[in-house]
Amino acid sequence: MDNNKIEEKPPFFKSWKGMYWLVIGSLIFYILFLYFFTISYS
Amino acid sequence: MSQPDWIVLIFTLFAIVLFGIWKGRGKKDLHGYFVGNTTIPWFTIGLSVMATQASAITFLSTPGQGFSDGMRFVQFYLGLPLAMVVLCITAVPFYQKLKVYTAYEFLEKRFDLKTRSLASFLFLLQRSVSTGLSLLAPSIIFSTILGWNLTLTNILIGGIVIVYTVSGGTMAVSQTHKLQMSIVFLGLFVASCMVIYKLPDNVSFANAVDVAGTMGKLNAITFDFDLENRYNIWAGLIGGFFLQLSYFGTDQSQVGRYLAGQSIYQSRLGLLFNGLLKIPMQFLILFIGVMVFIFYQFSQPPIYFNKVEKEKIYASPYADEFKELEKEYNTTFREKKELLDLYVAGKNNGSETKEIEQNLRAIQDDSEHIRSQAIEIVKKNNPSVPKDTDYMFINFIIDYLPIGTVGVLLAMIFAASMSSAASAYNSLSSTTVVDIYKRILKKDGTDAHYVSVSKWSTLFWGVFAILFAEFASRLGNLIEAVNILGSLFYGTILGIFLIAFYFKTIKGSAVFYAALIAQIIVTTIHFLIEYEVFKLSYLWYNVIGCLSVLGIAFLINGFYKNEELRSVEEAMK
Repeated sequence: MDNNKIEEKPPFFKSWKGMYWLVIGSLIFYILFLYFFTISYS
Repeated sequence: MSQPDWIVLIFTLFAIVLFGIWKGRGKKDLHGYFVGNTTIPWFTIGLSVMATQASAITFLSTPGQGFSDGMRFVQFYLGLPLAMVVLCITAVPFYQKLKVYTAYEFLEKRFDLKTRSLASFLFLLQRSVSTGLSLLAPSIIFSTILGWNLTLTNILIGGIVIVYTVSGGTMAVSQTHKLQMSIVFLGLFVASCMVIYKLPDNVSFANAVDVAGTMGKLNAITFDFDLENRYNIWAGLIGGFFLQLSYFGTDQSQVGRYLAGQSIYQSRLGLLFNGLLKIPMQFLILFIGVMVFIFYQFSQPPIYFNKVEKEKIYASPYADEFKELEKEYNTTFREKKELLDLYVAGKNNGSETKEIEQNLRAIQDDSEHIRSQAIEIVKKNNPSVPKDTDYMFINFIIDYLPIGTVGVLLAMIFAASMSSAASAYNSLSSTTVVDIYKRILKKDGTDAHYVSVSKWSTLFWGVFAILFAEFASRLGNLIEAVNILGSLFYGTILGIFLIAFYFKTIKGSAVFYAALIAQIIVTTIHFLIEYEVFKLSYLWYNVIGCLSVLGIAFLINGFYKNEELRSVEEAMK
């Protein structure tokens, strides 16, 4: 269900999808960081 | 503990209570008491959500986990950002538009009263018990290390929370969470600086990280799929996603935090804030544990951190065996330290260190083997002894940190304990009053009456948690069994909510009976694992419980053709 149309827009982005991708993008960044962190010191 | 540390600790506790009373002052109706008149901004929601999840054990056990097991526990939180996104899309708009006080209210609008009551009951059961345990866990550690009375420590932590939670409701809880999280962040900053400052002069931070890597403590991610291993990327992403979705989406202690948001906008931002910050925060706490491990590579660590249990061993028939292991452990430490000095010097000079690394790993294995033998002896002497690594960080704080910082770090642990207890009391009260008392027992009361009952109910759950902590301290090994209660129920509750949100054709009775059967399946699996019929990480209980509710509800839905079907859209009218 999409209730975004009738709701306030998030900061910095045109829609909430942008915010969600920011969080998912940060997760991908964390996983990559943890991966390189692990292989760098293993 | 020194006088300045006492002053810091007592001042912090007083400040929290007074701040809570001040922020929660004023006359309230039920809307004000349980959802803070829906005036709370996103920043406060985000901190409140984080404070609810972070208990004292987060700051006592997690560094211990880093110390013994390295960084891999961080994978447990990988499913959290995904869960935050899913909740922002689904649960937040539903809850906010329905203007509910509890998550379970929504279930009656979508299904029926019996499904709402079942979910409320499962929540009350697991949250009340786990709140008692979350009070007990730090109390055991404080009473052991600092010699405090266990019962008085339980009463102190649990009791001071009652004061401002009863008087101020959700507003007091959320506002004090802001202060408590400030103390937590300050404590983490102080701990990070101190643990690096305490490294020997010849060991730089880069050397310390190198040594940690060589010792296998920086294993932050594992791609191997293993159902028995709870800390790999798959268990974290899939099992962790279901667990966090269930915890943040259906557990009233969390739902109550973002229901108090001014709007969907504020609630969503609060949850996404948590989704962005949680993994770095857990990473930092684990890393502090790893750095304490490095500190103990250069300063002789005790073979066993729990001093009280060690004294008991010295007075037991196992004393000679234990002392022999202690000698061996200390000799291994000295040999290891010589190698470490060579390794650090080699790294700093840029010379070859491969052979030293291999020797270091071998000697570390020997050292861990000796310590595990010592732990086995302690367990033989006292089978209900808590995990020794839980005592590692507090020992380090008390034994090595300077005056003043000890008080700050103890205040951090107390603040964390109080923050999770406050959310728990508040949510147990809202579920008791809104879902049971007001809905079933007394439907025609005045608002003032319900507020009064809510205050008494908050007081009741606070006292219950303290009494349960006192009772559980006598349970011994059963504590671990009770601790797993959360995962036993979360999957079932999540299944109920997922059907409510996404599967429009499923009716109330089908969900209700599917939930009952799913709960029996999960409980049976748990006992089969307990009796070692097979092995499975408890994180998968959430997946099994949730999928069982979905599958069974689909199968039996056809039996309820004559039952009224309520859609989410109708529920929202």
